[in-house]
Amino acid sequence: MKKYVLFAFALLSSAVAVAQGAHDFKINEVYVSVPACCQQKAAEADSAECCAAGPVAGYQDEYGETPSWIEIANTSFSTHDIRNCFLTTNRDVLNEDLSAPERIDMMSLVPKGDARTNLKAKQRIVFFADGKVNRGTLHTNFSLKPGEENWIALYDGNGVTLLDSVLVPVLEPGHSYARIYNKDKDAFEWVDVAPDQVTPAAPNEIGDNTDDKTAEWKKNDPHGIAMAIIAMSIVFGCLILLFVFFHIFGWVLNRIAKLKRVQGIKQVAEAGEKIVVMAKEGAETKGIEMENYVAVIGMALHEYMGNMHDVESGVLTIEHHQSAWKNKDHMLRHAPEIHHNH
Amino acid sequence: MLLESLGLWGFIAQKFTDFLTYTGFANVEWANIIMILVGAFFIWLAIKKDFEPLLLIPIGLGIILGNIPFKAAGLEIGLYEDNSVLNFFYQGVKLGWYPPLVFLGIGAMTDFSALIANPKLMLVGAAAQFGIFGAYIIALAMGFEPNQAAGIAIIGGADGPTAIFLSSKLSPNLMGAIAVCAYSYMALVPVIQPFIMRALTTKKEKLIKMEKSREVSQTERILFPIVGLLITTFIVPSGLPLLGMLFFGNLLKESTKTTRLAKTAGAALNDIVVMLLGLTVGCSTQASEFLTLDTILIFVLGACAFMIATASGVCFVKLFNLFLPEGKKINPLIGNAGVSAVPMAARISNQEGLKADPHNYLLMHAMGPNVAGVIGSAVAAGVLLGFLS
Repeated sequence: MKKYVLFAFALLSSAVAVAQGAHDFKINEVYVSVPACCQQKAAEADSAECCAAGPVAGYQDEYGETPSWIEIANTSFSTHDIRNCFLTTNRDVLNEDLSAPERIDMMSLVPKGDARTNLKAKQRIVFFADGKVNRGTLHTNFSLKPGEENWIALYDGNGVTLLDSVLVPVLEPGHSYARIYNKDKDAFEWVDVAPDQVTPAAPNEIGDNTDDKTAEWKKNDPHGIAMAIIAMSIVFGCLILLFVFFHIFGWVLNRIAKLKRVQGIKQVAEAGEKIVVMAKEGAETKGIEMENYVAVIGMALHEYMGNMHDVESGVLTIEHHQSAWKNKDHMLRHAPEIHHNH
Repeated sequence: MLLESLGLWGFIAQKFTDFLTYTGFANVEWANIIMILVGAFFIWLAIKKDFEPLLLIPIGLGIILGNIPFKAAGLEIGLYEDNSVLNFFYQGVKLGWYPPLVFLGIGAMTDFSALIANPKLMLVGAAAQFGIFGAYIIALAMGFEPNQAAGIAIIGGADGPTAIFLSSKLSPNLMGAIAVCAYSYMALVPVIQPFIMRALTTKKEKLIKMEKSREVSQTERILFPIVGLLITTFIVPSGLPLLGMLFFGNLLKESTKTTRLAKTAGAALNDIVVMLLGLTVGCSTQASEFLTLDTILIFVLGACAFMIATASGVCFVKLFNLFLPEGKKINPLIGNAGVSAVPMAARISNQEGLKADPHNYLLMHAMGPNVAGVIGSAVAAGVLLGFLS
């Protein structure tokens, strides 16, 4: 039974560990490439003709083309591999009645065996949504449709766990849809980003909404005064707390030690009173219980001397005492006297 | 036969010529010579003048080692070349795991009794950290970026491992210069601090005799690393690597149940790490990276940081004395010990105290702010890391 419990626990732990890593992947920015003719007459454009015309300038893939792209970010501070995860735009995968293989058939797999899928802390990867999966690891089997809403989902390797999804609205040509940190709300939100702020494979930053702390300090505290005040306050705060704790703790310990000393003195005083009483009684009984009294007095003296030992001055005194032990005349053998007989 | 033999000689001559192009003599530049002389100077300082020999000898030799010129031919020997032995050792500096190990050793060797007995000395340790932020302000004014300024300013904490830890995270391109600067100034504490201390104190202040510290119980000694860890890391979690290891080492020492571990952490392990740290930091100062205007500015800023830290420690004690009753006053000569150059700064306090009064021993009193400075500089590093990384 124990084995099964242990096995179940290990399985659960490993499952959680895998999920933890995968859940750190977030869809970070989406760009829908719009063919040139659609830009000119977006409303009446026929998508088939537009596609044939080819897209305008944008982020280029390995073939020099500028298809739509989806940026995925590893939002954690650990390295995670996105291989075996799935990307899809097919909403049918949301049908809970579908089996995993059926869902997987509707998704685009991130293949394994490519070092680029191993994302370090805060690193991003761009997948080209061009429907040309034969062009490499970073190409999906679906493409994004210009002039329409695009629902994009990222699934874990089991094809069932939804890691992240986003509904990309119809975007103006050249614009992207990006997940940006809003400092005021202390949360991430999706915003339509102007062409000059589209940042494939780079942090999404608009105006003050940057997660670059150095830039923020440089802008708001160019002379370092705020840093000095805040940091010194924190350093002082830490050490003041330590000071307060050990000041109070030291005081409490000191009080406890004093109380113990006072208690000891009281005990000695009580014992002394008893001795006085016993000595008086002993005199009255004329030494009938002399042995007991002597034992009690001896014990009391022993206790007293013990306590006395605890309050000794702590000063070492080595005073010179002349004694027979130090007297050379007594310690050394006298030189034999030689008597000359004349 | 003769032609064949001539061909062989030609081949030998060609290979010998090739070999000569690989030697240091063929690749040497003036910058290498200068750096080798700097390394030799460090070794001389350590051996002849007894300036922090445990640090300056590995760093000095490291500087020489890192500046031996060679032809870049993929031999995997240089510090910055992948797969070289030196590069392997350098990972401890680059990834910042040597400094916490040094802090483990420091914790295992440090006796915090002086601080626990007189906890108000912690504030002196905190005040001296102003050297860091004073230097930060000056570095920004000189045009450094905030992350670079923070890496340079931490030199004012007078704590080599902390300086390496922070600069490896915030300004790795300046780390070599920052580390060498931090250790150089730590070795030069006896030169930098005394004149500032003398200038800022009156004769009367120098003669202040501090009351004898109370005895510290074992319970307090055991509680200190635990409470210290909890308080400091709850406030500044970014200081966890340094503070965690410092207090861990101290708990090993004070628990009295892990004496063997404390001995290893404070002796063998610490020695190994200090050797590798010193050597690789020295090696990282290759002439092309080191002999720049930035390095000169870092040395200037480092000196400023040290002086500001010393002055702020001494001045804080003088200010503090205004609020302390007679008999409880602190001798301002221990203010310099707030920088965490342990125990050198405390020794300077003692020496200066003895010069003023041959019976005024300040060493144990100065150890209080000195070890508080270690905590203070680690907290300051954590704050800078938290704000700027």
